[in-house]
Amino acid sequence: METATDTTTRTFIQVSEVWVPQGDSLKLAAGDYGDLALFEEASRQETFARGEGLPGKAWAEARPVVLKDLDGSYFKRADAARAAGLTSAVAVPVFDGKALKAVLVVICSDDDTRTGAIEVWSEKDGLLMLDDGYYGAAKHFEWVSQHTHFPRGQGLPGGVWAAETPMLLRDLGSGYRFIRADSAGKAGLTTGLGVPIPVPGGRTYVLTLLSARGTPIARRFELWDARAARVGKAHDAVLVDGICAREGALWDPDNAGNEPQVTAWQGPIGRVLGTGAPVVETETHPAGYASMVALPIHKDGELAHIVAWYC
Amino acid sequence: MQKLVVIGAGMASGRVLEHLFETDPDAYDVTLFNAEPRGNYNRIMLSPVLSGEKSYDEIVTHDDDWYGERNITCRFGERVMGIDRARKVVIGEHGEAPYDKLILGTGSDPFIIPIEGHDLPGVISYRDLDDTNAMIEASGAPGGSAVVIGGGLLGLEAAAGLRLRGMEVTVLHLAGHLMERQLDEAAGYLLQKDLEKRGITVLTGASTKAIRGTDQVEGVTLEDGTEIDAGLVVMAVGIRPAATLAKEAGLEVGKAVKVDAQMQTSDPDIYAVGECVEFDGTLFGLVAPLYEQARVLARTLAGEEDAFVVKQLSTKLKVTGCDLFSAGDFAEGEGREDIVFRDPARGVYKRLVIEDDKLVGAVMYGDTADSNWFFGLIKDGTEIEEMRETLIFGPGFQGGAAADPMAAVAALPPEAEICGCNGVCKGQIVDAIQDGATDLGTVKTATKASASCGTCTNLVEQLLSVTLGADYAGQGAQPVCGCTDLSHEDVRRLIKSQELKSQPAVWQELAWKTPNGCHVCRPAINYYLLADWPLEYADDPQSRFVNERNHANIQKDGTYSVVPRMWGGLTNADELRAIADAAEKYAVQTVKVTGGQRIDLLGVKKEDLPAIWSDLNAAGLVSGHAYSKGLRTVKTCVGREHCRFGTQDSTALGVQLEKRLWGSWTPHKVKLGVSGCPRNCAEATCKDIGIVCVESGFEIGVGGAAGMDVKEVEPLVKVATEDEAEAWVVAFVQLYREHAKYLDRAYKWIAKVGLDWVRETLSDDATRAALVERFDLSQSVYQKDPWAERSDAKTRRDYAPLADFTLEAAE
Repeated sequence: METATDTTTRTFIQVSEVWVPQGDSLKLAAGDYGDLALFEEASRQETFARGEGLPGKAWAEARPVVLKDLDGSYFKRADAARAAGLTSAVAVPVFDGKALKAVLVVICSDDDTRTGAIEVWSEKDGLLMLDDGYYGAAKHFEWVSQHTHFPRGQGLPGGVWAAETPMLLRDLGSGYRFIRADSAGKAGLTTGLGVPIPVPGGRTYVLTLLSARGTPIARRFELWDARAARVGKAHDAVLVDGICAREGALWDPDNAGNEPQVTAWQGPIGRVLGTGAPVVETETHPAGYASMVALPIHKDGELAHIVAWYC
Repeated sequence: MQKLVVIGAGMASGRVLEHLFETDPDAYDVTLFNAEPRGNYNRIMLSPVLSGEKSYDEIVTHDDDWYGERNITCRFGERVMGIDRARKVVIGEHGEAPYDKLILGTGSDPFIIPIEGHDLPGVISYRDLDDTNAMIEASGAPGGSAVVIGGGLLGLEAAAGLRLRGMEVTVLHLAGHLMERQLDEAAGYLLQKDLEKRGITVLTGASTKAIRGTDQVEGVTLEDGTEIDAGLVVMAVGIRPAATLAKEAGLEVGKAVKVDAQMQTSDPDIYAVGECVEFDGTLFGLVAPLYEQARVLARTLAGEEDAFVVKQLSTKLKVTGCDLFSAGDFAEGEGREDIVFRDPARGVYKRLVIEDDKLVGAVMYGDTADSNWFFGLIKDGTEIEEMRETLIFGPGFQGGAAADPMAAVAALPPEAEICGCNGVCKGQIVDAIQDGATDLGTVKTATKASASCGTCTNLVEQLLSVTLGADYAGQGAQPVCGCTDLSHEDVRRLIKSQELKSQPAVWQELAWKTPNGCHVCRPAINYYLLADWPLEYADDPQSRFVNERNHANIQKDGTYSVVPRMWGGLTNADELRAIADAAEKYAVQTVKVTGGQRIDLLGVKKEDLPAIWSDLNAAGLVSGHAYSKGLRTVKTCVGREHCRFGTQDSTALGVQLEKRLWGSWTPHKVKLGVSGCPRNCAEATCKDIGIVCVESGFEIGVGGAAGMDVKEVEPLVKVATEDEAEAWVVAFVQLYREHAKYLDRAYKWIAKVGLDWVRETLSDDATRAALVERFDLSQSVYQKDPWAERSDAKTRRDYAPLADFTLEAAE
């Protein structure tokens, strides 16, 4: 539980934003830009048509997209990004069946010290292969990941694929001695969040966020189960797993059946339940965090899970 | 302050201490022994630690600070050697500890099957953190493989964890389905499917013979000879209460340490809690009663009155993505009624068992939202009469519509093949409907679905209904029985296209309304499965009619008839002598020559069947299958060898066909005739398949009958050689086996699909050859003499009467 005791302030992700479809284009719904005011200003003036820029590409191609070098790319806000020191981005489309609910974009800056991983895995020939990923300074881990594949049920990506549910793994580099885990340990990666990303057409995508001790992606992770098969038909969600640097484990087996529960429109998780779209919030969280991102996963016509991370 | 010694820092004793310190922190001076070098942690969360979904730190219940704040003397890593009750001291490895009150929380030991190789390095049990760490360590080897022996809760959690860690995992389970103590067959099927989706291999009915290896485990050998390589073997076959210490101390011990309702042992100063306890004949392995015991014991030690009561338990499995729940008693029984709900699309199965208007058991898979409510009804013994109709939909029913009769068809994926003849999938049909096809005819025109044999007609109609809703009014077809809304033809088609290879798979994926079918559908489903999947599916004798189960026809006086096979109606002096001897030896009442050219021994007692079969076997005679839905007889005339009108060797061809076809199961009985000339002395033209020999070859007719209906065969084909005749007959039988509705004789089936379609299908050389190949594959499994397989001592016992009441009455 090393992540839970981490107290650094430098985070791996610097910008998180939610783009929602409005007519024929994507419009900014919410964003956490930290102190990057100029980039925020540039973003607020932007919209994206289908296929345009990074969010538009994720929408048009109906898949998560990793863009490792914003400069000189199709990234529309490249100048503002360069000025803000932002170098890489990942766009994650949120589909409910064929309907796009939103595109979540996270943007990172590159330097020699920021370590973490945001990866997109996709299924090819019965195995999950790395589609692409952004790793910051974890270059060896990046190389190992590019040469790794996961069968169903194995490792975080394979586990998420098989279980069709988000998973939160602890102690990433300890105990696992196969090559990727060993490298993860050396890179300081401790906590891994794996999320299935359903898209129209049925292709399999798994997003993984691997958080490092020094530059964590988040200091609090939550997994919420909203399936009617688990919580009934009340549009509620229950907190089934989570870990927090300040509060420790967010699960309690002695409390099974009485887990923390939210209903639609109740707090940020409730807003995700209500809208079916991601939420990026900069209001202070009760546990003392300055910002949070909540990402819904729709499956079989219902909002099935929500993952949330807090910094 | 009284001295309290606790042996074992487990979950139950830990909970006792929590309650005790909450009630009166100064009541006891506590010394805590634990053989493990650590304090209390949440043992039931070891599986998520193994999988990496939790860290050990997260499952620690009491850390050093907790013990320190309560001044508990921790003697961790120290084994207790004995208890001196006279001096009231506990003897530890490093010294004694006196007590006023003593709590035994010694838990349980894993059961290790004492098979060859069980003590090899690499063979581990799964009880504590050290075992968990050993598994994590073992999973570190790249490409490592593990065998988990035991498909119960713990074994499956271990398997899932090891798989997530990167191992190739095989689960070996002795029973017919996973977690058979907590789940019924249907839920076990879904669980197995979910685990297989994770890449875990599951072998049920797997009996481990030995563990291989020299210096380290190398693999496992099963009783059937299967070899599985593995560098790690996890034994998770059960636990045994750890009661040795108590027994050696002279406490009363049965299966475990005996306690009363206050958790007091036979010594008034010694108490016990947890898995080491036996209360009222009951042992405990789940955490809920352990915590209840702890609460009672803490109150007892605090001088308050309380009593432990055994309550209903529920089960959940800690494998992420496997949602299951089971509680109460769900065994079938007199006076019990099942309510079943299935949603194949979502992999949901719910079954409620009701007795005397009360819910007594519940099994759920895939949808456990209402499990706590159902568990409450079971625990409280609530009368459910008034909500019986809607009970299965849970407390929020009240939106619950009746089960959708089209659920199975609606759940099919777009690539599911609906029309096997023309290779048309569900997606194509739905597209055609969405493009404007509104009835069977237009769908047929647009896609060719149901344009050939027509057995998929009802499925196409259901797709029209599912897609068009109330706008479509189809004809519908007769369902198999009350367990389903699908017709025989639908079920046959879906068993093939969805590759359903077991009865539970059929019940679940085709949304059966009963837990496991009924006396009407089970024989049919059993036949369809064995006909379509001869290698994968094992015939289920319990799904057969009594005659097929006993391999003899029961007569009206309760005796049986025995009919040896006589190939093509031929016999010889030795066989006749053996038949005569058997008739005398077993006091056969009647010896009858049948219309199919066989000898029927009537009036054999059931208990004599194995012996008479054995005697006849010894003379080279095998079962004539006179009771089966399979090949009965091939009747022949003497043919050209003896008859001056004979054009071909009809006898030899008959023998040849019978030797090829015998033992095969078919939708209904199959009778053949081969006549050597058109004078037709073998009456071939009223058989299911009749061959009439002519100078230029062989005229094959099919679909004859001479029973309730009398029908002459219709000409199928004329061929020139015996080999061609044999290939056509075998291919026809296989086509009939693969397509006909169970209990349809050949002529009824032909009337449905049309002789033109049969002829057209068989006329294709490649198709005919493929049918013959599939028939031979099936025969490689099923062409066995049931008499020879049933002459052993066990069968003789099974066929023997339970008691001889006549003797008792005489005395």
